[in-house]
Amino acid sequence: MADAPSANDELYPIAVLIDELKHDDVLLRLNAIHRLSTIALALGPERTREELIPFLDGQTAPSAPAPNQSLTPLAESVEDEDEVLVALSEELGSFIEYVGGPQYGHVLLSPLENLAAIEEPAVRDKAVESLNKICQDLSSQQIEEYFIPLTIRLSKADWFTSKVSGCGLYTAPYKKISPQVQESLRTQFGLLVHDETPMVRRQSATNLSKFVKEMTAPIVIEEMIPFFQHLAQDDQDSVRLLTVEILIAIAEVVPKDQQASHSVLLTSLRSLIEDKSWRVRYMIADRFEKIAKAVDDETVTRDLIPAFVKLLKDNEAEVRTAIAGQIPGFCSLVDRDTLLKDIMSSVEDLVSDPSQHVRAALGTQISGLAPILGKQETIDHLLPMFLQMLKDEFPEVRLHIISKLELVNQVIGIDLLSQSLLPAIVQLAEDKQWRVRLAIIEYIPLLASQLGVKFFDEKLSGLCMGWLGDTVFSIREAATHNLKKLTEVFGVEWASEAIIPKVMAMGSHPNYLYRMTTCFAITTLATVVSLDVIGKSILPMLEKLVEDEIPNIRFNVAKTYAELVSVLKRLPDEGTIYSLEKAGKTDTTASPKSTELIQQRILPHLEKLQKDDDVDVRFFATTAAGGVPAVGGEPMNTSP
Amino acid sequence: MSDLDKAIAQLRACRPIPEAQVREVCHKARELLIEEANVVTVTAPVTICGDIHGQFHDLMELFRVGGDPPDTNYLFMGDFVDRGFYSLESFLLLLCLKVRYPDRMTLIRGNHESRQITTVYGFYDECLRKYGSANVWRYCCDVFDYLALGAIVLGASNTLESANEATAREDVEIEVCNADGDAISHFGRRGKASNSDQGSPNGKTERIGPPGSGASGSSGGTVGNPAGAVLCVHGGLSPLIDTVDKIRLLDRKQEVPHEGAMCDLLWSDPDEIDGWGLSPRGAGFLFGADIVKMFNHRNDLSLIARAHQLVMEGFKEMFDASIVTVWSAPNYCYRCGNVAAVLELSEDSGGQGFFARSNGDVGRSDGGANRGVLLDSDEGARRGPARRYRVFQAAPQDSRGMPAKKPVADYFL
Repeated sequence: MADAPSANDELYPIAVLIDELKHDDVLLRLNAIHRLSTIALALGPERTREELIPFLDGQTAPSAPAPNQSLTPLAESVEDEDEVLVALSEELGSFIEYVGGPQYGHVLLSPLENLAAIEEPAVRDKAVESLNKICQDLSSQQIEEYFIPLTIRLSKADWFTSKVSGCGLYTAPYKKISPQVQESLRTQFGLLVHDETPMVRRQSATNLSKFVKEMTAPIVIEEMIPFFQHLAQDDQDSVRLLTVEILIAIAEVVPKDQQASHSVLLTSLRSLIEDKSWRVRYMIADRFEKIAKAVDDETVTRDLIPAFVKLLKDNEAEVRTAIAGQIPGFCSLVDRDTLLKDIMSSVEDLVSDPSQHVRAALGTQISGLAPILGKQETIDHLLPMFLQMLKDEFPEVRLHIISKLELVNQVIGIDLLSQSLLPAIVQLAEDKQWRVRLAIIEYIPLLASQLGVKFFDEKLSGLCMGWLGDTVFSIREAATHNLKKLTEVFGVEWASEAIIPKVMAMGSHPNYLYRMTTCFAITTLATVVSLDVIGKSILPMLEKLVEDEIPNIRFNVAKTYAELVSVLKRLPDEGTIYSLEKAGKTDTTASPKSTELIQQRILPHLEKLQKDDDVDVRFFATTAAGGVPAVGGEPMNTSP
Repeated sequence: MSDLDKAIAQLRACRPIPEAQVREVCHKARELLIEEANVVTVTAPVTICGDIHGQFHDLMELFRVGGDPPDTNYLFMGDFVDRGFYSLESFLLLLCLKVRYPDRMTLIRGNHESRQITTVYGFYDECLRKYGSANVWRYCCDVFDYLALGAIVLGASNTLESANEATAREDVEIEVCNADGDAISHFGRRGKASNSDQGSPNGKTERIGPPGSGASGSSGGTVGNPAGAVLCVHGGLSPLIDTVDKIRLLDRKQEVPHEGAMCDLLWSDPDEIDGWGLSPRGAGFLFGADIVKMFNHRNDLSLIARAHQLVMEGFKEMFDASIVTVWSAPNYCYRCGNVAAVLELSEDSGGQGFFARSNGDVGRSDGGANRGVLLDSDEGARRGPARRYRVFQAAPQDSRGMPAKKPVADYFL
C-alpha cells in the first residue's frame, strides 16, 4: 500500500484508511489501525502532523469540530468500537518517529487525551500507557508546556474516568520538571487521593506506590505519608488493600534509621495487619517478605514476628495460604532461636490445616526451611512434618513434598533421609487403600531420579516389583507404567538386569490375571528396550505364553505381539525407540535383525493364534497380523 | 474401531449411546442370548459378581480392582438396573461387552430384570428421562426376557496361589483381599489339625450333615463334591427344582412370573431354617441348609453362588460354605455404607490336566474318584473350589466426574 499513492491523488492513503475504517468488519478496521504507521510513513512527518493526527484527533473526539469537513461522518462509526480504539491507543504510543521525532512528540498528546477520557477501561489504560511512553521522549519544556496541563486537565475533569486516567500520569513526568511544577503536581495528586469516588482513590493508591519512588525522602515523609495515612484509613477495603504496596514503597525510600521516628507508619502497618477485611490481610500476607525487608530490624522483631504468627493462624484459608508461601523468605530474615521459639510451632500447626490449599502451599515451601534450620533442627522439626504431609489425603500436598525432597537431601544427606522418610514412603506404598498406593507409584520415578540408581536398587526396587503382583488390577497396571518410566530414567542396561527377569518371572504365575501382567509389562516396555533384550528375554517368554491354556492370555499375547511388531519395524540394532526419539531421530528403519525377528519368531506364532479355537484370540491375532508387513513384497524399500 | 467398540468407549465414559444404536445392540444381544441355554456353562477362571443396581462408577471401580474385560472373564448374576442413577449406562455397557466378547462375559437374569419391577424402582423413569420416550426401556426389557437363568462354572482350581509368592498354598481354601490390598485373612481347609476350628469366614461352624450329603461324618471342609461345579443363580433354589436339568427345561423367554420355578430362582433366599419357608419378599421361598446340601449332593455341585441380598461385608458364606452370597454394589443406594466383593474362581493350576466335567449332571462325574489316582492322599482335605474374594469400596467422589451435589431422583424415595 505504501507505494500505491500517485502524485495526483494526495489524499489517497487517507482515503484508503477511511474506507477501511468505515468497513463493517471489525477485523478489517483493526488491520487498518495497525497499518497507520505505513500510512504515516507514506505521508511523511509533516503531513502526518498536519493531516493524519488532526484527523485521528477528530476520530477520538467526535464532539469536537473535525479539521476536515469530508472526514466528519466517520467519527461516529469508530467511536464505539473499543477494540479499534485500543489498537489506536497502542499505535499512537510508538508514533513519535512518524511525526518528525521527539520535538514534535507533543502533537500526539491530543488524540491520546481524548482516548484517556473514554469510558472503556481497556482503552484508557492503553492510552495512559502510550502517554507515559511518549513522555519518556519529550523535553522538560514540552512536558511543562503540554504534558502537565494535560495531566491536570484530566485530574480536574468532572467524570471519574478522566481522573482515573489522570492518576497514571504523575510518575513519568515528575523527575523531568522543575521543583515548582513538581509541587503543584503533588498538590494536584493530593486532590485525587481525597477524591470522593472510590475508583479514583483506588487508582491514586495504585499509582502512589510508584509515585513515591520518584521523590526524595524528606518530601515523602512530609507530604506522602499523610496521603498514605489517609488512604490506609479509607472505608473501602478495596482501597486499603492497595496501600500495602505504598507502605512498602515508602519504607524503601525512607532510610531504616529514620523509620522509627515516624510512628504513623508503624501504626498504619499494625492496623493493616489487623484489618477486619481478609482481603487487606491477604495483601499483607502475600507481601510479607517484602515488608520485612523494607522495615528496620526492630520492627521485624517487635511487630512482624507476632504478626506473622497471627497470620499463620488467620481465620481465612486464603490468608493462611498466602502467608504459607512466605515462610522460607521471612524465616531467613529472623534469627534461628526466634524462629524455633516463636514461629516454628505455628508453622507446624499448618500441617494439619483444614484447608488443602494451605497444606499444598506449605508443601511447596517447607523444604526451603531446611537450609535455614540446619541439619539437626531439620531432623527434629521438619522431618515429622514431612512424615505427616506424606500421608496427606490430598495428593498435591504429597507431590509437593516429594518433589522438593532434593533440598532436604542436600542438608541432611541421603542416609538420614532414607532412614527417616523411606519408612514412611514404604508404608504408603503398602497402604491398605489402593488409591494411596497408586498415588505413591506415580511419584516413584521422580524419587528415583532425585535419589539415584544405587539408592533405588537398595531401597525401592523391591517395592516396584512387588506392585506387579498387587491384588488390584489398577496397581499392577500402574506398576508396569512405572517400570517404563524407571527405564527411561536409568537406561536399558539397568532395566535388562533389574526389571526384565522379574517381569518374566510373573509369566509363570499360576493365576492368569498375574500372568497377564507380563503381557502388559512387555507392551508398555516395548519402546524402552533394545533389540537384544527383545530377542533374548521377551520373545522366549511370549513363546511360552502363546501356549497358555487360558484364552485371555493368548489374546493378550497377540496384542503384545502387535505392539512389538510396531516397535521392531522401527528398531535398529542399537538403542531403543525412546532413546532415538529423544535424540531427535524419528525416521528410523528396521535393522535386518529386527525384520528377521518379526518374520521368524513372531509371525509363525501369530499365524498359529489366528487358527485358535477361541474367537477372541483369532480376532486379536488377525488384528496384530494386519500390522505386519507382507512377507514377499517389500512394502517400504527406503534403503538405497 | 468398530461401532461397537466406539459404543463401549462412550458408555465407559458414562455417556448414553443414541437410541438407534441401543436398538441395534439389543437386537444383536437377543440373537446371541437366544442361543444360550437356561443354564450357561462357563469354564474357570472367572470372576463372579453380584448386584450392580445402576451404580455405574462402582462398576468401574470393580473393573479397576478385578481387571478390565475382556482380559478378565466376568459373570454377573443379575440386578444390573434400578435404584442407582446410571442403570442405563451400566446395563448397556455390560450388554455391549457381552455382544462384543460373548465368551468373556456372562450375564444372568436377576429379579430386577423385569418390566414390572423396573417401572417401580427407577430404570423406566431413567430411560424416560434420558431419551424422552420409553423405547429404550422396551428394547432393554426385551433383552431381559432372553437372559439366562443360571450358570455352571467348571474347572475351578482347588488351590489358591498367593499373589507374590508364586507358590500355591494347598491348605488355604479361602482368601479375602481387602479394599485392595493385601490378603486380610485366609481360611484354611478344615480337617487339617492346625486350623480345625476355623470354618467359613462368616458362616456357622457347626455342621449339619443331612443324610446323603458329603458333609456328614468325617469329611471336613466344604460340603459337596470337591470336583463338582459351581452353580450361579441370582436368588436361590426352588421347591419345584431338584436337579439342574429341571432348570434347563423351563421356558425362560417371558416376563418373570409371579410364582413358579423361574420366579423362585430369581427371588428365593437362604435362611437358617429347616426345609422351606415363606419369603417375606412375597415371591420365592426361604430355604435351609438341608435343602442346599441335598441339592449340591444330588447335582454334584461344590458351591452355589448367588446375589440378591445386601451383605455388609460384600460376601457371606453359609451352611458350611455350601452357598455364598456375593454383593457387588458398594455403599448400596449411596447410603448403606457396605463394602462390595467379587468372587474369583481361578483356573485349575495344578497342571494335572484334570477337568471336572460334572456339568451339574447326576452321575456324569464320579466325584473325586477320577482324581483319586493322583491325589489319593489328600482326599478329604481338598474340598470345594478355592475362592478368592476381592473386597472393594465405593468409588471416591472425584472419580465420579460429577458434582458432589446429588440430584435426588423422584423415584429414589
